[in-house]
Amino acid sequence: MTPQLSRRDLFKLSAAGILGTSVSGWFNVLASRAAETRARHKSCILLWMDGGPSHKDTFDLRPGTAQGGPFQEIQTSVPAIRISEYFPRFARQMQHAAIIRSMSTGEGAHGRAKYYLHTGYKEGVGGLNYPSIGSIAAMEIGNPSNPLPNYVSIGNRSYGSGFLGPRHQPLNVVSPARGVENLRPLVDSRQFQNRVGLLEELEQSFHRTHEAGTSLAHRTTYQRAVTLMQDRGARAFDLSNEPSASRAAYGNTVFGDGCLLARRLVETGVTFVEVTLGGWDTHQNNFNRVRTLSGQVDPAMSALIDDLRQRGLLDTTLVIWMGEFGRTPRINNRGAQPGRDHYPRAWSSVLVGGGIRGGQVIGRTDAEAATVTERAVTTLDFMATVCRILGIDHNKLNQTPIGRPVRIVDRGANPIVQLV
Amino acid sequence: MATQLGGMVVALGLLASAPWTMGNGQAQSGKKDVPPAAKMDSAALAKVIDQHINARLKEEGLKPSSNSDDGEFLRRVYLDLIGVIPPSEKVVAFLDSTDPNKRAKLIDELLEHPRFGTYLGEMWAGMLLPRESNNRRLDHRPMQAWLADSFKNNKPLDKMVYDLLTAVGTQQANGAATYFILNPTADKITDNVTQMFLGVRLQCAQCHNHPFVEIKQNDYWGMAAFFTKTRVSLNPKAAAKQGAQISVFEGAAPPKGKRNNLPQGAKIVPAKFLQGEQPKLDPKEPYRPVLAKWITSPSNPFFAKAMVNRAWYQLFGRGIVNPVDDMHEGNFPSHPELLVQLTEQFKANDFDLKYLYRAICNSQAYQRTSRPVGDNKGDKEFYSHAAVRSLSPEQLYDSLTAVVGNPGKDMPKGPKNNFRKGPASPRDAFLSFFRIDEGANPLEYQSGIPQALRLMNSPQLAGAAALNRILSESKEPAQILEKLYIATLSRRPTTQERQRLVDYVGRQADLRTGFSDVLWALLNSSEFGLNH
Repeated sequence: MTPQLSRRDLFKLSAAGILGTSVSGWFNVLASRAAETRARHKSCILLWMDGGPSHKDTFDLRPGTAQGGPFQEIQTSVPAIRISEYFPRFARQMQHAAIIRSMSTGEGAHGRAKYYLHTGYKEGVGGLNYPSIGSIAAMEIGNPSNPLPNYVSIGNRSYGSGFLGPRHQPLNVVSPARGVENLRPLVDSRQFQNRVGLLEELEQSFHRTHEAGTSLAHRTTYQRAVTLMQDRGARAFDLSNEPSASRAAYGNTVFGDGCLLARRLVETGVTFVEVTLGGWDTHQNNFNRVRTLSGQVDPAMSALIDDLRQRGLLDTTLVIWMGEFGRTPRINNRGAQPGRDHYPRAWSSVLVGGGIRGGQVIGRTDAEAATVTERAVTTLDFMATVCRILGIDHNKLNQTPIGRPVRIVDRGANPIVQLV
Repeated sequence: MATQLGGMVVALGLLASAPWTMGNGQAQSGKKDVPPAAKMDSAALAKVIDQHINARLKEEGLKPSSNSDDGEFLRRVYLDLIGVIPPSEKVVAFLDSTDPNKRAKLIDELLEHPRFGTYLGEMWAGMLLPRESNNRRLDHRPMQAWLADSFKNNKPLDKMVYDLLTAVGTQQANGAATYFILNPTADKITDNVTQMFLGVRLQCAQCHNHPFVEIKQNDYWGMAAFFTKTRVSLNPKAAAKQGAQISVFEGAAPPKGKRNNLPQGAKIVPAKFLQGEQPKLDPKEPYRPVLAKWITSPSNPFFAKAMVNRAWYQLFGRGIVNPVDDMHEGNFPSHPELLVQLTEQFKANDFDLKYLYRAICNSQAYQRTSRPVGDNKGDKEFYSHAAVRSLSPEQLYDSLTAVVGNPGKDMPKGPKNNFRKGPASPRDAFLSFFRIDEGANPLEYQSGIPQALRLMNSPQLAGAAALNRILSESKEPAQILEKLYIATLSRRPTTQERQRLVDYVGRQADLRTGFSDVLWALLNSSEFGLNH
């Protein structure tokens, strides 16, 4: 593993005249970051349960009923609230959490629903490419001089910045254990510095004769990428810096590693991190699979919440657990093992931390967990709520490149008053 | 008035009766009595382009920059017409040729190049087929191939679009049917048809009257009505499951008031040409040919102009009306008379796309250098100098691999490939990774940090094999340097560059180390990564 070039090394090499003109571009960035003191904005960690987790087997159970399935409920740290027996550790943290049992979002196709729940807009409407909540958060409350990108997606490429442009694209980490793709140079740090020096010379020369916006943007992007490669903060991506005990606490799974990485990134000031756990599309073999997946979520999510709390970060970090819809209250017996199918009409999501009042349940469903009977939460309501918690004005208008105004959250949103 | 009374009479008739001035920038009165312009060849049209552009520059008090260098022109026209930088042998041949007509000859050569059709076909397929989640299992290639064939053979554009709009059958039998398979609902196909072939963004009007322009919801649904009989035989999921082919056809007319393939919230109105008349449709006959005939007719007020604008956009990075597919009365053409003349000549020359490209590429306006001079550096609209544009992901990948060779199997796999069975090819994975926004503006730089990291640090793009080959052929540093420049930047190094870089290489451990640094810098430079 090639060693990162520390700032001290940079100075040394520069003094020795080896770096030539190349460093001047970065000194400004380094200097401004050191001099800057900033109030801590909020952060968000989205635990994305890809495929649509069954609400009736996680957070809105009906044990003992004909369609209730075999799972039992357990008590949580909040007397009135009971959840699936497969979240024993998280159950002890319920005082920090709010369960929304009345999600009702209408989209039942995976692709369309995922898009909708990430952006707040339906795919393709009005011919626009809408930004995901991660890009919105990076733009609205992210620290612009953070050498790390303010939106990181772990395990899945997620949804991008759409018309907000390349600056707020997520940095994707496919495997938390491997870290960021292509972060390390192909050659040793001294040779890499030489190369960057050459590049900077070529860039200066081209810009002198062409003075074009595109070449300036090209050069700036490269400077930021090089800075990221060399920034101390980039070590957050390296999980080998964590004691093995903490990886064990998170469950020693890929998802657990992802949650651990998310904590490290939030610690360095990254605004929005999404960690994906797939496999929830349980048309077949629902109960075995949900049990296994819950077993991965429970240690990871609870260790994350514990760590954030211990570091004094829980109040400023909103953790969201959700998928794109829930699953049918009726069990299907089509296959060898019973399953549940897509169900957007009534389902559950969970919010933790971020300064919300914990220990609550928002909304209710009927005896079958099939229909919302109280306080339906639409996609717009949900997005507006998240925005309010993070300190984003959900009514703000952003401009598309052709000057069309688009609200962060579309009109008609009613944020959940008990949470904002 | 769907019958042809004779093109000229109909054209004049419609011009006289139309109440609109959609993006034309010229009042229609007084035009009634002018006969259609005499047909001119591409050389003459190139001169006309320059007359208009230069006259406007004078009006704006802008001094034009000088003509491009040979290397500059060579690289630009290769990228614009066939989507890849020129190979080294071609660079040397062109730079050293003393033929005064070499540029015109090069343009002709590229228009007949095997890549011309495939490059344009891939580009158009990207615009016609939405990359959406519902289309995950579907294959773009039949559409790309059908388009490539049409472009290669220079099928007149009116005929090509007519065939596209009326396509039936399976993708495998008729690649054009892909258009309707990937745009299976009336609103989706209407959005695309109006945007691509009329140059009008009607999508806003799907839900409400356009805020600035005289486009109403009924205009939108009047156009969508032509597609209400169009059907696909299977949905993609069922087709994939059954291993069956999806077929496009026109079925029975929907019973009065029924929605069929119209989405929720659709308005059911009689079929009506945009800002035109309401034709009488025979419910026993297909509807699309009626629309297709109106769109591709020489008297159609939108089609030829939209196609001309799009060709201009492809070569300049901006349309004469910009955005390219937003041609309405609030959006003025930068050079209205030029647009009119280009449109007239395109029609007079039977919608010949190669003719149009030939004319534009031979103009001074196209061949100007991208280096601004004095005040003209602020000009983004009048073509005083060429714009420095982004490369499309396709251009970038094909140009990179032209230098470093095709990556092996270990290129990182991208997200699950949307359009073919099986894992993504390295090219598809790269395109997916670099495609930030659909329909991205070429005048803006699109890449972010992840893309820069990939280009800098990916082993597949290091070009070790290419470098080894050059090093085995030449031992003299100046020669090696020249080969690297020719391969990557399509030019020879300046004296200054040669001195500096040969000196640099001399101070490194060995030739290979030094030149690998130079190659790395060249491949990551603006001069390589942009179209200038």
